Amino acid sequence: MTALMARARRRPRSSRLWPRVMVLSVVTALVLLPFVWMTSLAFTPEGAAFSEVRLIPAQPTLENFATAMRVANLDTAFINSAVVTSIAVLTNCVIPVLAGYAFAHLPFRGSKVVFYVLISTAAIPVSVTLIPLFLMAKNFPLAGGNDLLGSGGSGLLDSLGGLMLPYLVGTMNIFLSRQYFAGMDRDFAEAARIDGASEFRIFSRIYLPMARPLIALVAVFSFTGVWDDFLWPLVVSTSERSTTVQLAITTFASTGNVKYGALMAATILVSIPVLVVFLVNQRGFISGLSEGGLKG
Amino acid sequence: MPTGAPPRPRRRRPHGKPALFGALFVVPAALYVAIFQLGPVLYGLVLSFTRYSPLSRSGPEFVGLDNYRSLYGDPEFGRAMLITGRYVLQVLPITVVIALGLALLSNRAFRGVGLFRTAMYVPHVVSLTAVSMIWLWIYSDDGVINQILDLLGMAGQRWLSTEDAALNAASAMRVWKALGSNMVLLLAGLQTVPKDLYEAARVDGANAWQQFRAVTLPGLRPMLTYVIAMDIIYLAQGFTEIFVLTQGGPYGSTTTVNFLIYTEAFQYNQMGSASAMAFVLFAFIAGLSIVAIRVGQGRRL
Amino acid sequence: MRRIRSASASAGLAAGCAAALLLAACGGETETGSDGAGTLTVWFPGNSESEMALVNDTIVPAFEEETRADIEVTYVDWADISPKLNAAFAAGTAPDVIGHGVAATADLVHNDRIEDLTPYLDELDEAAREDMGAALPGGTVDGAQYMIPLIMTIRMIVYSGTDFAEAGLDPDQPPETWEDVRAVAEQLTQRDGGDITRAGLVVPSDPIGAQQAFGTFLWSNGGEFLNADNTASVMDSPEAVEALDYYVRLYQGPDAVDNTLGVAWAGSPEAQQPIATGDASMQLSNAGSIGKYQEAAPDRDLRLMMPPAFEGNEPQAFGGPANGLMINKDSGQKDLAWDFITHMIEADTNTDYAEALGALPIHASAVDSDYISANPELQKAVEALVSNHPNPNVPGWVQMRDAMGQHLERALHGEVDPQEALTAAAREVDQVIESGS
Repeated sequence: MTALMARARRRPRSSRLWPRVMVLSVVTALVLLPFVWMTSLAFTPEGAAFSEVRLIPAQPTLENFATAMRVANLDTAFINSAVVTSIAVLTNCVIPVLAGYAFAHLPFRGSKVVFYVLISTAAIPVSVTLIPLFLMAKNFPLAGGNDLLGSGGSGLLDSLGGLMLPYLVGTMNIFLSRQYFAGMDRDFAEAARIDGASEFRIFSRIYLPMARPLIALVAVFSFTGVWDDFLWPLVVSTSERSTTVQLAITTFASTGNVKYGALMAATILVSIPVLVVFLVNQRGFISGLSEGGLKG
Repeated sequence: MPTGAPPRPRRRRPHGKPALFGALFVVPAALYVAIFQLGPVLYGLVLSFTRYSPLSRSGPEFVGLDNYRSLYGDPEFGRAMLITGRYVLQVLPITVVIALGLALLSNRAFRGVGLFRTAMYVPHVVSLTAVSMIWLWIYSDDGVINQILDLLGMAGQRWLSTEDAALNAASAMRVWKALGSNMVLLLAGLQTVPKDLYEAARVDGANAWQQFRAVTLPGLRPMLTYVIAMDIIYLAQGFTEIFVLTQGGPYGSTTTVNFLIYTEAFQYNQMGSASAMAFVLFAFIAGLSIVAIRVGQGRRL
Repeated sequence: MRRIRSASASAGLAAGCAAALLLAACGGETETGSDGAGTLTVWFPGNSESEMALVNDTIVPAFEEETRADIEVTYVDWADISPKLNAAFAAGTAPDVIGHGVAATADLVHNDRIEDLTPYLDELDEAAREDMGAALPGGTVDGAQYMIPLIMTIRMIVYSGTDFAEAGLDPDQPPETWEDVRAVAEQLTQRDGGDITRAGLVVPSDPIGAQQAFGTFLWSNGGEFLNADNTASVMDSPEAVEALDYYVRLYQGPDAVDNTLGVAWAGSPEAQQPIATGDASMQLSNAGSIGKYQEAAPDRDLRLMMPPAFEGNEPQAFGGPANGLMINKDSGQKDLAWDFITHMIEADTNTDYAEALGALPIHASAVDSDYISANPELQKAVEALVSNHPNPNVPGWVQMRDAMGQHLERALHGEVDPQEALTAAAREVDQVIESGS
């Protein structure tokens, strides 16, 4: 609310800003509280973990980070996760966005049905689809020694291709894109059509530039979702060569052998790339239309 | 209403070239989803009419509607449905309202706003394995919450081991986890609200609340619809937080349907009945989401 | 215009095709396959750093050198392995050697997925088999050996010598019967009005923990869960009711000694568990973790008590293999797989492995090893292994366990009396047995 008032009355910035900053600071502090302990644990020597947790460890140490880095496969895991995630982010920024745009602005006969059918797949728990998807990965044609019909080899199992198989098009991204474009005016398209512009041109030259927040969102959510997934890599990866960061950190959470400090340190290390991606992209959430793009 | 709401997209008859291109634009996504997502779902649908252990050598054995029939009379499943429903209904409004507030507050460029936004997103990012240990500890008898209560002179509670508290404790963690992503979506949604409408509203003398009701909320509608539908879809499949915090207990008071499905599928190796549960859950999610989407589109039910 | 349009139309398709091609290009390197000569795939039932280091750097190289075979090892925590294993069996890609928790064995046998190892075991020399005498029975199904245990577990009472001394009890003379344990627990319990401020004895009461704790009471009172041929439940016997009554009275009534009903402390870090924090003087725990408890609370003089029994009965405590190895029935390398298993259970190797995991080894003779003999309490744990009693290995066990857990939970909370709870649990367990046959 204060946002609107501040903007509407064009008051000088600073005078209106501090209550907002105060509220945000308090909420941020509350939200981050669990991580304060997490970080504290990461710097607490392993033997003392949990017996003397305090805000600032009595004898802070980097030993846990060293342990986390030393784990045989964290480097492979980082590379694998980075490759799989980057490719998934790229495909997700194109394919679902295009589809979402079409569902919002270029309806065709039956498009609603198609839309709902596609979206509905997000409402089925992974437990049920895991095994069939695994069978598809194994029987993927022409991969991993398979013939055209998908038999004979191990298919996409234990490979980067297998890891990325379920992530290339996120159904929720289709939904998100449709909603985003639905919030935009159709009259631009109308005008451009009268001028003779092609549909793809209308999309790529008019709507896409206004959809920077959307692309930023899709990129961030795809990155987070793929980077953090555990169940699929657990099932499809069967050796170090296709391990991922989430698989790697379970090394410290092995039943009966939890290494708390190292687990927290590894979790922090593994979370950094996602936060960097977020930090870089978050500007995107507030650009776009608010810069006057609509008026053109 | 003092001001005009943003123009609602006109309904257009599907015809002519735009429609053709619409179909073309959808093809890549549709093909992929049909093969790699819909395919497995249909496979699951078929399995729901069978008795099948992935370990067995003989493959699925057709049993007709048996799995669904036994769910109908199963008090445990009924209870899990109720718990799931309660879980969705108590987490959803709180998350959305707080997230909307935060989005409005951080919808402004000022020094450090990026850090605020990133901080809010942290819970969404950090993997649950580690976070759950922290939360287990926060909720433990000597944990932070009880320590704070103690400082305030109030009696501590058993957050995860009493029937009354456990689902609420899991819900609180879930609100915390979902806040950031909801906020970010709404923040992006706010950008689609045309600026000049605010100008117009201001000229009409609308105060902040009136502007919010008349301009912000209608403009935010498509994104708000998405946020609510997404939350329903994910919350109704709530599993991980339950798995790590309470294992469905105490007394099954936090056993959500998806927790049952996981147990049935991977502990008891009964994919048939697990799939049947999944499709009943699906019907529930679809029902709720359709209501949400219709309301979001401003239509009558 | 036209040109642009056609380009646009194909753009989306191109993206899709590119993705598909990419997938194919990223496909697994063509392998010789697990059935190629001399390659053995092994899924280990744990993934801790120390375990991986030992297996990768020592155990596997030694075995590879000895046999010239190529071992491909994957580490999966046994708590996570079910989805992976189920998918692999459904697709026919399960490994030659499978590591898992013991509760999974019977279902794998029932589905004809794992090899009967009895003939292999018979070829081992007598002395070696005897040395593993306490461990092996936990890996049998219907009398045949299907799993070879790697590490052992047993529930024992950890107690604080300091608390004992303070209460005027002799830490060197811990109680030997459950009746005495109860008496001592009452002495050790500290109260503030009606509230317990320090528990005399805490016992796990979450559903899985409760089933295992109840087993400990039940067996050491001469009772059983199932009849001898596993065709019906017998857990509503008078012995069982007595055992459950004892368990319930730990929490209920004015003389209660345990204030942790429903709290799943057993999953917390050792340093946070009641025995280490000083919130309890005795705690029924996994005996192999004694070293971690001692490390977490060096001032509390933590020790292990040999498993007690109810008067007139033999001590029996929940325990058995924590995990073990099995051979895939479809493996083309069964002999090599067996060689690998025998390598793993060779006394020194196994003790090293147990040490890396902080668990108990499978050999009775390990009591003299450096790892065990360095800590007298750990020695007690290994000696106590003769009293370990595993849960029944029957198909559908996990379902039975969960059903029991819920009824036990109700009884512990005083909602139903022990007899009622056990009758209901027995009925449900019988249903699982029927539906499985």
